[in-house]
Amino acid sequence: MVVRKQKICGDIHGQFHDLMELFRVGGDVPDTNYLFMGDFVDRGFYSLESFLLLLCLKVRYPDRMTLIRGNHESRQITTVYGFYDECLRKYGSANVWRYCCDIFDYLALGAIVLGASNTLSPGNDPTTLPAEEDTEIEVCNADGHVMSRFRRQGGRINLIRETQTISPKGAPSSSPPVNGTSSSPSGSAPPAVGAPTNTGPPGSGASGSSGGSVGNPAGAVLCVHGGLSPLIDMVDKIRLLDRKQEVPHEGAMCDLLWSDPDEIDGWGLSPRGAGFLFGADIVKVFNHKNDLSLIARAHQLVMEGFKEMFDASIVTVWSAPNYCYRCGNVAALLELSEDDSGLGIFARSNGDVNRSDGGMGQGAPPRGVLMESDLARKGGGPARRYRVFQAAPQDSRGMPAKKPVADYFL
Amino acid sequence: MASSQAGPGTFPKLEILPRGGNPHWTFLRPAKRIESGGDVERFLTSRAYRDIGIFVLQLNRALCPRKLPTGTKTFTLSTPRNDPESVKRLQGLLTRIEAITDEAPPDKGPRRFGNVAFRKWYSLLDERVDGLLKEFLPAGLLKFGGAGGSSEEKGPLVELRAYFLGGFGSSQRLDYGTGHELSFVAFLGCLWKLGAFEGGNSGETSPGEIERSIVLGVLEPYLKVVRRLILTYTLEPAGSHGVWGLDDHSFMPYIFGSAQLTRPITETEAMPLEGSCPGAPKPADIVKAAAVAAHRDDNMYFSAVGFINDVKKGPFWEHSPILFDVSGIKDGWGKINKGMVKMFNAEVLSKFPVVQHFPFGSLFSWDTDPNAVNVPVVRSVHMTNQPIASGVSGSSGSGGVGISAASTSRPMAAPPIAAPWARTGFPPSEVAAPPVPTEFPKGTPGMANNQFAVTKAPWAKN
Ligand SMILES: [Mn+2]
Repeated sequence: MVVRKQKICGDIHGQFHDLMELFRVGGDVPDTNYLFMGDFVDRGFYSLESFLLLLCLKVRYPDRMTLIRGNHESRQITTVYGFYDECLRKYGSANVWRYCCDIFDYLALGAIVLGASNTLSPGNDPTTLPAEEDTEIEVCNADGHVMSRFRRQGGRINLIRETQTISPKGAPSSSPPVNGTSSSPSGSAPPAVGAPTNTGPPGSGASGSSGGSVGNPAGAVLCVHGGLSPLIDMVDKIRLLDRKQEVPHEGAMCDLLWSDPDEIDGWGLSPRGAGFLFGADIVKVFNHKNDLSLIARAHQLVMEGFKEMFDASIVTVWSAPNYCYRCGNVAALLELSEDDSGLGIFARSNGDVNRSDGGMGQGAPPRGVLMESDLARKGGGPARRYRVFQAAPQDSRGMPAKKPVADYFL
Repeated sequence: MASSQAGPGTFPKLEILPRGGNPHWTFLRPAKRIESGGDVERFLTSRAYRDIGIFVLQLNRALCPRKLPTGTKTFTLSTPRNDPESVKRLQGLLTRIEAITDEAPPDKGPRRFGNVAFRKWYSLLDERVDGLLKEFLPAGLLKFGGAGGSSEEKGPLVELRAYFLGGFGSSQRLDYGTGHELSFVAFLGCLWKLGAFEGGNSGETSPGEIERSIVLGVLEPYLKVVRRLILTYTLEPAGSHGVWGLDDHSFMPYIFGSAQLTRPITETEAMPLEGSCPGAPKPADIVKAAAVAAHRDDNMYFSAVGFINDVKKGPFWEHSPILFDVSGIKDGWGKINKGMVKMFNAEVLSKFPVVQHFPFGSLFSWDTDPNAVNVPVVRSVHMTNQPIASGVSGSSGSGGVGISAASTSRPMAAPPIAAPWARTGFPPSEVAAPPVPTEFPKGTPGMANNQFAVTKAPWAKN
């Protein structure tokens, strides 16, 4: 499924105020198209509010909002990681939780973005020059100022680091304070806390292999929460899955929501106890076979907000800043431009309507990624702009009344 | 646990085994028994469950302030104590354990959560644990009972080691949670049963003094070590309910800390169900950072909240809503203490993801408690969503793997972390059959293994 200037977002985990910050940074709906890759709920304080807002936007602007399912959109996981407890505490009954879980079963397992452009559309940074033709990756801060650019050049990183600009607010654009101002009573801040002072290049410090992609440049982008499955070699097989159910403990549907890329060869056991680990070889073969230029996924905290791996054949996007109030990470969203050639074609993802035919369309021409396999290749992956942002300031949040305590204390 | 809340005058204590009184006592390598959600109900009728409950309540009551002819006596962290030798030695043991962090500095490199250097820390602990226990436990304790008379081989070391190692998080998952804390409490319970704390106080002792030494003199220093580990290696919360859990890592300090502030009692009175000690900080004070800072060196509850304030940024009511709600309780710390004990029973002892790792030996036994009241368990959503028994059974029970033994050697043979329905084979597929993973990835440059707050499948075994 493609929409113009798709903005792809990762885990939210009930951080409602930070979701608001995301919309501030990414642009309002419906002027901006969003694709959320799951894990709306659990861990945070506002899982219900976050999910219901996204759901309302989906209902109001069905072709502007895409929601796909994360491993937390599940009955069993939400009873362990907080969403169940949240609904119980906020409503005194589990009904709201139950209804939400019923909706989870209808979420898509993945989505395809077609027709992403090789060239970045102009950003909204008034202080820097427009991106050059051969800019493949651009990293912006929350105010839209370009923090760094990466050129297409033989697949190697060529960093054009912009001089740090001063944001209109007067703070250095690269290091606004992270959520919160309170200091620890003991006066010694633990190492676990504190904002990163710098957003490095994609995959910085974690993998030296990112920056220039070698995949099919004009191919489609597959968005999925976790990653690949040994049972899915072709994207079309995702459409055949009967997804309207609780996330199973194993099998293709489980893997798509639980797997992680890792620096291994082939497949490996996941330390999570569900899904698999998969290596660069798996991703490259899969992308080639399916004419994909990129897999976008979420599911793993990345301190810099995003991380490209395996020659930019896969990227992790993480959209929950200062995760769990303590990780000190920044968040990001990925912006894909529309291809100028106008090949932005809507294809139904597994999660959309009309899938009684299994999405394959009896008699109708097959839709989806394979239609685009004859796109001209320009070299390099689709142009990608990452907008990096921090946790929303907390001063605007009022303190609620204390709620009646749990039964234990009565 | 409710059964042990007896009337005035009779306050059950964990039994101390008659030393050498039973030459046929057989120590067992502790093994996991809780394989599925259903086994939790069985656990709740076990001797181990009974003993944990008795021990925790025994310690709890000892922390409650006392009415004395001279006035009220409170027991704060800074109140001078007359710790017996056995307790001092355990303090020495903890100091030695903490020092291992100097030998395993956190990996620099990319900033991530769940520092893999914790695996080195843990393997050093694992290597040295037998020597350390022999060095710091009371002489002769490790030769307790046993068919071989005074041989250590058949002694309790095998059980002590399992609970002790289990008290310091998971090197596999790089996390720490209430299950690990429970394991350390069980370690102390084992020592109690073996008589390690018997008659140790020099001079005249007052009732509850040894219990207070155990909590204030061993458990709180243990929590300090754990907090250092959490900070140093950024260990994840294990089995986290996110903001909806009481605390990411701990439970005990909320029980014993609230007991420290409860209305004073005489030696014959039961634990009060409400009321605060005169002069105690108010429950509402825990949301005030300054009050927490002022009391964290005296009270375990405030000490624990102080640690939360150290590591979390954001509104307290948002990142710790349960503690925030509890701070609104009007009936004093006694009410909070009663609630914490109930909550511990429900949220720790009755939760599969927490107790599944608890191993059972001879001291904390899987045998049914003949006096267990068969209370019909209210099947909560949590319980009904716990995994049901799977076809793969007995794998960990027969292996006799302790709570932590599985996590000490890496890389591991397959499949140490397999979910209960471990993939013994792939369904027939059109896909070229992927090689079945045979071992854990050795390298750690990837992200999957070393992330803060990585979601694990609750049905996974390890
Ligand atoms: Mn996830």
